[in-house]
Amino acid sequence: MELLRIEDLHVEVEGKDILKGIDLVINEGEIHALMGPNGVGKTSLGYVIAGHPKYKITRGKIYFRGKDITSLRPDERAKEGLFLAFQHPVEIQGVSLNHFLYNISKRNNGNGVNVIEFRKSLLEKAKTLGVNSEFLNRQLNVGLSGGEKKRAEIMQLLVTDSKLAILDEVDSGTDIDSLKVLTKAIEEVNNTGTGILLVTHYDRILNYLKPDYIHVLIDGKIEKTGNYELSKELETKGYNWIKENGVAS
Amino acid sequence: MKQEFNVRDDYKTKYGFREDVKTVFDTGRGLGKEVIDKISDRKKEASWLHEFRLKALETFKAKPMPQWGADLNHIGFEDIVYYLDPSEKKESGKWEDVPEKIKNTFEKLGIPEAERKFLAGVGAQFESESVYHKIREDLEKQGVIFVDPDAGLSKYEHIFKKWFGQVVPIEDNKFSALNSACFSGGSFIYIPPGVKVDLPLQAYFRINAESAGQFERTLIIADKNSEITYIEGCFTEGTPITTIEGVKPIEEIEVGTLVLTHKSRYKPVYNIQKRKYSGKLYKLNYYGNAKHTLEVTADHPILISKREKSEAKNKIWETEWSTPSKLSKGDYVVMPIDREIISQENRDFVVAFGSKKRTGGYVRINVKTDKDFFRLIGYYLSEGSVMGKNYLTFTFNKKEKAALEDVKKLLMKYFNKAPLEYGEYKNGISLVLCSTLAAQFFEQQFGKGAKNKNIPTWAMKESPEKQIELIKGMWIGDGSFMNKAYSYGIKRMFRINTVSSQLAEQIWRMLFRQNIFSSIHRSKRGGRRADMYCIYIGGDYLMKFANIIGFSEVIVNKQYHMLAEVGIESSVSYAVIIGDYALTPIRSIEFERVKFKEVYNFSVEEDETYTSNHIAVHNCSATTYSKDSLHSAVVELVALEGAKLRYVTLQNWSDNVYNLVTKRAFAYKNAKVEWIDANIGSKITMKFPSVYMMEEGARADILSVAYAGRGQHQDTGGKTVHLAPNTTSRIISKSISKDGGRTSYRGLVEVAKGCTGVKNSVRCDALLMDEKSRSDTYPTIKIDEEDATISHEAFVGKIGEEQLFYLMSRGLSEQEAMSMIVLGFVSEFTRTLPMEYAVEFNRLIQLNMEGAIG
Repeated sequence: MELLRIEDLHVEVEGKDILKGIDLVINEGEIHALMGPNGVGKTSLGYVIAGHPKYKITRGKIYFRGKDITSLRPDERAKEGLFLAFQHPVEIQGVSLNHFLYNISKRNNGNGVNVIEFRKSLLEKAKTLGVNSEFLNRQLNVGLSGGEKKRAEIMQLLVTDSKLAILDEVDSGTDIDSLKVLTKAIEEVNNTGTGILLVTHYDRILNYLKPDYIHVLIDGKIEKTGNYELSKELETKGYNWIKENGVAS
Repeated sequence: MKQEFNVRDDYKTKYGFREDVKTVFDTGRGLGKEVIDKISDRKKEASWLHEFRLKALETFKAKPMPQWGADLNHIGFEDIVYYLDPSEKKESGKWEDVPEKIKNTFEKLGIPEAERKFLAGVGAQFESESVYHKIREDLEKQGVIFVDPDAGLSKYEHIFKKWFGQVVPIEDNKFSALNSACFSGGSFIYIPPGVKVDLPLQAYFRINAESAGQFERTLIIADKNSEITYIEGCFTEGTPITTIEGVKPIEEIEVGTLVLTHKSRYKPVYNIQKRKYSGKLYKLNYYGNAKHTLEVTADHPILISKREKSEAKNKIWETEWSTPSKLSKGDYVVMPIDREIISQENRDFVVAFGSKKRTGGYVRINVKTDKDFFRLIGYYLSEGSVMGKNYLTFTFNKKEKAALEDVKKLLMKYFNKAPLEYGEYKNGISLVLCSTLAAQFFEQQFGKGAKNKNIPTWAMKESPEKQIELIKGMWIGDGSFMNKAYSYGIKRMFRINTVSSQLAEQIWRMLFRQNIFSSIHRSKRGGRRADMYCIYIGGDYLMKFANIIGFSEVIVNKQYHMLAEVGIESSVSYAVIIGDYALTPIRSIEFERVKFKEVYNFSVEEDETYTSNHIAVHNCSATTYSKDSLHSAVVELVALEGAKLRYVTLQNWSDNVYNLVTKRAFAYKNAKVEWIDANIGSKITMKFPSVYMMEEGARADILSVAYAGRGQHQDTGGKTVHLAPNTTSRIISKSISKDGGRTSYRGLVEVAKGCTGVKNSVRCDALLMDEKSRSDTYPTIKIDEEDATISHEAFVGKIGEEQLFYLMSRGLSEQEAMSMIVLGFVSEFTRTLPMEYAVEFNRLIQLNMEGAIG
């Protein structure tokens, strides 16, 4: 089943063109990686798909599970089953992760969530991510280390039952053990059919989560799409190789 | 024309309920020596206290109004009633002895339940007098005193007199002088040495009468090594009520709602909406509905939009709650449109069958309530009748062949039976369906006889698409299109006639759901003929109506709008529908003086409000007061060596209350005083709880939380005065400003010479919810000793786009996201509260925030 379809997407932010004609299709259960050098619009694409009000779509459409979501609010998109793990999650004072997870889970799974059941399953999930109940009592992203923030993001993914997860630099700031734990959790989510869009500029994470497709974003356009092998090629030749060769495929 | 409509939906928070309690004694408006004499006389006070009051009165009059803080220049001191006694009885400490209506008020606040569940003692004050004080027996045995000041004076004068007026002297400020002059009610608490009171004592304060002042006096003495938490709740309005379905805001309480009573059982709210009224009774006429004159008492709040604000095009319709005396012709009244849709494909109906003797009762039928069915309802309402018990009849003009055929088809569809056709009689053709079931069904659902026709609630709530068909049917039967030439031009409008007053209004309301503003006119027809109600649709709404009924004869005429404004029907051209509200100008406003007139206040329940007047009028039992009230308390705390005293305030006064309170504590050796002070309500609050650390090792902790919405100024903070070495204090202030509200932090930290080893920290966090709102800090630090550790941090945050986006991307609505950010922001405060209060506090904040969204 088709999850995401982006057609000829042009986006500007603060008067600057940032995406210049993106086409992208992600189907159920697929893992896609969006790669490219810093500042080419990778994070912006994630924000645009999630509905950030700052970005202005000047042309093109975004469809999610067959529905045009181009003009939906972020919360409406989330309710459709879209999830964005932020590269830099925002700090919310005085709101415990625990409370927040329960809240968003209730929002996405209806009010039928039993607190005790929820708490039980939450602790199990926390365990798989290598965090304890103390971690869950901390305030949402406040004073968390880079790696802890990523775990908090993935915890949120685990309770929302999302259909497509955009994971923005989920590997940055994590050590190798954390990365293993995180990618294992993501893999499990993927096994239930959730589509994954990994946004990254390193190929490190790709060793753990083998993507079905790799897209290279350069200057607001997807210049090249290939399979897993492409990442190896990129590793040796660098992004300049694509810039110099243009659209080689 | 771009129009915005900002509804200030502060109904939930601004309007609480109000009991119709007759005070048995008051001192009249204004404050002079004779008022003081009356108070002292009524309380049979000792002469020293009378002297004390008189001296305070002089001081109050002599002191100028403070000009350094929030604007207090509009307090009408001469309009205020300084002493009101609601009862002849003195408090007895027995709940049963509290007068019935006052008891009701406090029962709605859930006091008896709270007392039973999580309090060690309860006090309640209504207007100027304390009506109840009760403390747990075991504490009483240990010597804990919890009474009102009158009892404190008469029974425990030796303790009382020693401290009274010592912590906060008369001369401290203008308002402490005012309180000292006319104080009444409050609490006197004494905790003997070493007694630790495990649960809080709580006092509830309520102002009920308009223009009332409340000047309670609280004196708490915590003797050596004792511990006590005292909570005061100032809840005028928007108060959550404990009902069988959980805690609800008062406006959701209806007659019949089960609320928790002092006997720990649920009882329905009895009808409190009838009272004898003496004063001005206003009669309001507004365009669009000549059928009704709205009669309201002078203090009855009405949702309106002021004319001057609404004149320009591209206008923003700002609404406000106002009272009739402040209205003038041309101001707009606001009518909420009920847009709730309860749509069902099929419905079950119970039809009662004639007399039980014959048929034995009832039959249940299932009807497909689709568009066609609604058209059939329309035909019935206009042309239908029931003859005898068994014949459903429709009579059409012979020209209305199409409608005739339509009805035949519909009757076949729903009742599977063809009607008989009776040929022309006076140009009419009748269709008669011989079906007791159909006849009884229509009669029971839609009324028998032309004057009693009406539309049941389920049909009023159906989808506008289905309702179009009803209107269509009605129009085909009883409607006409006027296209008349007058000397001033051509007037075009649609007209629907009915002799049922109720039906006319229902159609009028149903048209709102189609975004059509019509107008009802009543014409007397003379003789024995019943008055006719005509619903006119013209002006801006002509084409729209033509479209929905599929009427093609209206030719778009650029002049129609202008022309329609000439006649009486023009009215509707001034009216507008924006969002969920219809606004229409007031045509005339008059009043008469009435004496002991029985007035009925509109039930909170939606339907009743609508049918009586349409205008957003508050239930009068949920009224606000046209005049400002003044709450000026003095609280004196004494924490003797090693004592721990915590004083919690949850203030949610209505936004016509000036809340000017002086709170001070003396903390002796190693004693600790905590002020936890939350201010959500009031018009202006000025309150700076202070702690004077008199001896070594004393500690002070002040936590102040303020929320200021539109029109509110919360000028709050704290003062810590270090008068001994090695004393420690902390002030945390958290404020939220929204919709143009203003918060100020005003603080003082003072360290006297020679007081070494002092530690102090101050932190002020302010959260601004929008650009219109304001927050300031005015910290003052006076240090006469070098060896002191002082820190001050201030932080002003705005709710950022990034925070909102983050939370919304997780599926939270904007409102939920904002509320989560705000509650998180004040969680440091909420955590210090007992759970029941934390829940209530969060709820109050949420209610305030919801109301402010435009």
